[in-house]
Amino acid sequence: MKNQKFRSVIFLLSLGFLLTQCKDSGEDLKPDEENELITTVQLSFTNKSTGAIKTFLFQDKDGDGGNAATRFDTITLAPNSEYGLAIAFLDESKNPTDDITAEIEEKADEHLIVVSANPAGLLAYTYNDADGNGFPIGLKGTAKTSATGSGSLKIQLRHQPGTKNGTATPGSDDVNLDFRLVVQ
Amino acid sequence: MHLIKIYIVSFLVFLFGATAFGQAHLDCNCFVKGIIKDQHTGQGIPGATIYITKSNIGVTSDANGKYEIKNLCPGTYEIECRLVGYSPFKHLLDLTTGHEEDISLSEQEIHLNDVEITALRTDAPSSQPLNQITGKELFETRGQTLAESMKGLTGVAVLQTGTSIAKPVIHGLHSNRVLIMNNGVRQEGQQWGSEHAPEIDPFIATRLSVVKGAAGVRYGSDAIGGVILVDMDELPFDKPLSGEVNAVGMSNGRQGITSGTLQGGLPGLKGLGWRLQGTVKRAGNVRTPHYFLDNTGTSEKNFSISTGYRKKGFGIDLFYSFFDTKIGIFSGSHIGSVTDLLEVLQNGEPFVKSGFSYEIGRPYQKVTHQLAKAEAHYHFQDGNRIQWTIANQLNDRSEFDLHRPRNDSIANLNHPELNFRLNTLTNDIVWDHKPIAGKFSGQVGVSTLYQYNLMDGRPLIPNFNQFTTGLFLIERYVKNNWELEVGARFDYRHLITHQIINREKVSHNFDFSNFSGTAGGTYNFSPNLTASFNFGTAWRAPNVSELFSDGVHHGAAAYEQGNAALSPEIAYNSIGSIKYQVEKLNIEIGAYYNYIHNYIYLKPQPEPILTIRGAFPYFKYTQTNASFKGIDINYKWEFVKSVSVASKLTYLQVYDQSAKNYLVMIPANRLDNGIHYELEQWAGFKNFHLGLNNLWVAQQKRVPENSDFTPPPAAYSLWNFQAGGTLPITDKNQLELSVSIQNIFNTTYRDYLNRFRYYADDIGRQVSLRLRWQFGTIH
Repeated sequence: MKNQKFRSVIFLLSLGFLLTQCKDSGEDLKPDEENELITTVQLSFTNKSTGAIKTFLFQDKDGDGGNAATRFDTITLAPNSEYGLAIAFLDESKNPTDDITAEIEEKADEHLIVVSANPAGLLAYTYNDADGNGFPIGLKGTAKTSATGSGSLKIQLRHQPGTKNGTATPGSDDVNLDFRLVVQ
Repeated sequence: MHLIKIYIVSFLVFLFGATAFGQAHLDCNCFVKGIIKDQHTGQGIPGATIYITKSNIGVTSDANGKYEIKNLCPGTYEIECRLVGYSPFKHLLDLTTGHEEDISLSEQEIHLNDVEITALRTDAPSSQPLNQITGKELFETRGQTLAESMKGLTGVAVLQTGTSIAKPVIHGLHSNRVLIMNNGVRQEGQQWGSEHAPEIDPFIATRLSVVKGAAGVRYGSDAIGGVILVDMDELPFDKPLSGEVNAVGMSNGRQGITSGTLQGGLPGLKGLGWRLQGTVKRAGNVRTPHYFLDNTGTSEKNFSISTGYRKKGFGIDLFYSFFDTKIGIFSGSHIGSVTDLLEVLQNGEPFVKSGFSYEIGRPYQKVTHQLAKAEAHYHFQDGNRIQWTIANQLNDRSEFDLHRPRNDSIANLNHPELNFRLNTLTNDIVWDHKPIAGKFSGQVGVSTLYQYNLMDGRPLIPNFNQFTTGLFLIERYVKNNWELEVGARFDYRHLITHQIINREKVSHNFDFSNFSGTAGGTYNFSPNLTASFNFGTAWRAPNVSELFSDGVHHGAAAYEQGNAALSPEIAYNSIGSIKYQVEKLNIEIGAYYNYIHNYIYLKPQPEPILTIRGAFPYFKYTQTNASFKGIDINYKWEFVKSVSVASKLTYLQVYDQSAKNYLVMIPANRLDNGIHYELEQWAGFKNFHLGLNNLWVAQQKRVPENSDFTPPPAAYSLWNFQAGGTLPITDKNQLELSVSIQNIFNTTYRDYLNRFRYYADDIGRQVSLRLRWQFGTIH
C-alpha cells in the first residue's frame, strides 16, 4: 500500500509538470497588425472655379480608447460654390500608415459613403463614382453650397458586404462623423 | 467541488414481534432498527434522518449512527435516509409478504436486510440552500445549454446573448460572481464576458446542483452569488457493462442532439471502473414567432473519458474532457454606431431577414475547452481521509467578426479578430479529519491556481499571469437535531498584466488578498420540518476586463472603460430557509440579503465618448455598495390522488446603496404555476406524467433612469406542456420518453436579460422530443 501511494504521488506530480509549462504571457505580446482600424478621415474640397484645395481632418491615431481624437476640424466653405470632394480613410496606428481608401476602392461593391448636411440646404452632394454594379461609392463627388449658414456635415462609411443596393439602409457604420460645417 | 463518496452500509434489522397469529395485520409492533456507518472508517454517522415516507414517522441517528423506528404496522413502506449535505437515499420495504411468511414459520423471525447506501456528499455549506436537478427532471432538460437546464430552479435566471449563448444567474449575480465546479474543478474560461457561455457539455452531468448564496470558504474567490456543481455518477467499479443513448429532436432550429455513455468495470482487474461519453449537437437558424434569426445555428462536439481504481481505502480517478463548439451570432445584432442601433430599435424588427439554414457564417465564436484531471484519495484506518486533485484546463476562444478584413491577403488567412488562450493549473488538497468526540467533523484544505492568458487580435484585455492560493478550515458539529457549521478561509492572488499601448509594452502588478468566513446551522424540528440559516462571505478580485477595458463594446453599443485602481469586491450574505415535507405537500421557502461591498459595475458617465463611428454612451467601471435581497418560494401539493399543483416564485430587489439608485441588468421577478398528473402505471408506461405550466415574467421596473436605449421589455407569459414516461423492456433495458412544448401559443416576447432584446424577439414555439435508452444497469 505504501508503495502504491508513493507511485501514485509520483504519477500525479509528473502529470502536473507535463501539463503546465510556466509561461511569461508578456513574452508573446505582439502588436495587432491584422485588424483594420480607421483612425483618420480626410476630406479634400477642391474649389472648381479657383482650383484651391481645402483639407479637413478627423484624426484619432490610437483608435478608440486611449487618447482622445487629436483633430476634428470645422469645415469652412465659401457660399454659392461648387467643390470636388475626395474622401480618404487611413489607419495611422500601423507603421507604415495603412491606406484604407485603396481597399474600399477595390471592394467598392461592399461600401457606400453617405454625405449629408444638416440643415439639408447648406450643402448638396452628388456622387461622381460608381462600383461594378452601377451603385455609387462616394470616394469622389461634388459638393455645392448656396447661402451662408452653419450646421453639420455627416460622413458615413457604410459597410455592406453582399447587401449593397445603393441605399444607406443595409450594413453597418464603419465611420459615422458629424463635422461642423460653416458656409461663410 | 469534491465528491466524496461514502458508502453507508446500513443493516436494517426487521424484528417482527407478532405474537397473536390471527391478528397479525392489525398488530403494529414491527420496528426497523440499524446503524448507518461509513464503510471505510467503520464509524457511525450521527445526525442522519431516517423516516418512513408518506408518514410522519422518523428518527435521527444517534452519536454512534444508531437508529430505531418503532410501532410500525405491516405494509409496504418506503424508507428514506437523509443527511444535510448528502443526496437522499430511498429504499422500498415490502413488509406485508415477509410478514405473512414469517408469521407462518415462527412467532419471531429476524430478517437481515443489507442495504448499501451510496451517498454522495457535497462539500457545500450544509446550511445553505442546495437545489438539484437529477433523473427525470434532468432528462427533460436534455438538449439545452447548461444554463438553460437550470432555469427551472427558483432563484436562477439566465443571461442570454441571443438564443445560443446562455449564462446562469443566481440571485441576480452572474459571470465572475458565479463559480462553476465541473467535476470538482473550478471552470476557468473567459467567464468575465457576458457573451461567453460555460464550456461544459450538460450531458456529462448526471446531477446539476446550485448552491445559493456566498460560498467563498469552501470554493474560494468568485463564489459571490453561488456555485453550480456539475457532477457525474461514481464510476461503475467492478460492475458489468452498461450505458445509455440519448436522442433529442427540437423543432425550432431543427436541432438534433445525440449523446451516448458506455461504462463498466474490467472483469480481469478488480477495483477498476471506466466510462466513455460523447455528444454531438447540430442546430440551425431559430425562429421567433414572426421571422427567422439569421446565422443562429450551433454545432457542438464533445467527449469525455474517465477511469478510476479503488483498493481498500485508496482511490484514483482520471478524467479528460474535450468540448468544441461553433456558435453563430445573429448577424442583425451587428452595429457600427449608436445611429445603427437606434434605427433597429425604431424599426422594431431586424433589417436582416433570412430563411432557415444550418450554415454558420460570420459573426461566430469557436471555442474549445479541454480539462484533464487526476484525483487521488486515501482513507486512513483511523478515519482520516486525504484527497488531492490536480487539473489542467486549456480554453481556446476565437471570435470572428461580421466583416472580414478588407485586405484580401489578410482576409484569406481567415484569422479570428479575437483569440484568447487561457491555460489553468489547479491543485486542491483536502484533509477530512476523523470525527472528534463523535461530534465534530471537518476538513482543512489548500488550493492553488496558476493561470496565464495569451491573446491575439483586436486589443481587448491584456495578457496576464496569475497565481492564487487559498487555505481553509471548516468544522461541523452535529448533536441531536442540530447541525452547526463554521469555517474560515484566506486567499492571496498575484496578477501580472502585459499590454501594448502606443506600440510600447506596459506591464502592471497587482496583489489581492482576503479573509472569508461562514457560520450556519440547521435545526430539524421533525423529519418533515427543517430550518437553516447561514451567514457567509465571499470575495472577488477585479478581473482583467474590469481593470483594463478601453473601447466600444459592440452589441451593447457602449464605450466601456476599466479602472486599474479597483479593489476587491466582498459579499456578506445572510440566507435562511425552511423546508416542510409530508406525503402530499412539499414546501421550501428561502430568503436572503446579500450586501456587496465595493460592487463593481459600469457607471454611466455624463458625457459621451467620441469615436470615428460617432459618439457612444460612456461607461466606467466603478465601485459602490449594493444590496441584493430576495425570496424564493416553491411548493408542490397533491390535492387529489395523482394530481398536484406546484408554484415557484423568484423575487429579487437590488439597490445601489451608495448612489441611492437601482442597478441595470437585474433579472425580473417571475412566477411559475403548474398542474401535474402522475400515474405509477399507465398503458405500459411506468411513472407516466403530464404537466401544463405557465411562466410569468414581470417587467423589470427597477432600473436607473436614462441608462438604456430603450425601457426594459414588457412582462410576458408563456405556456408550456410536457408529458413523459418510462417503457420497461427487460430487467436491464428501458426506454424513457418525453415530449414537451415550450411557448405553446407562439407568444412574441423579449426578455430583459437577453442582450439581443434590442435587435429581435425571443424564440417562438419549441416542440422537443426526447428519448433515452438505458441498458446494462438501470439507475
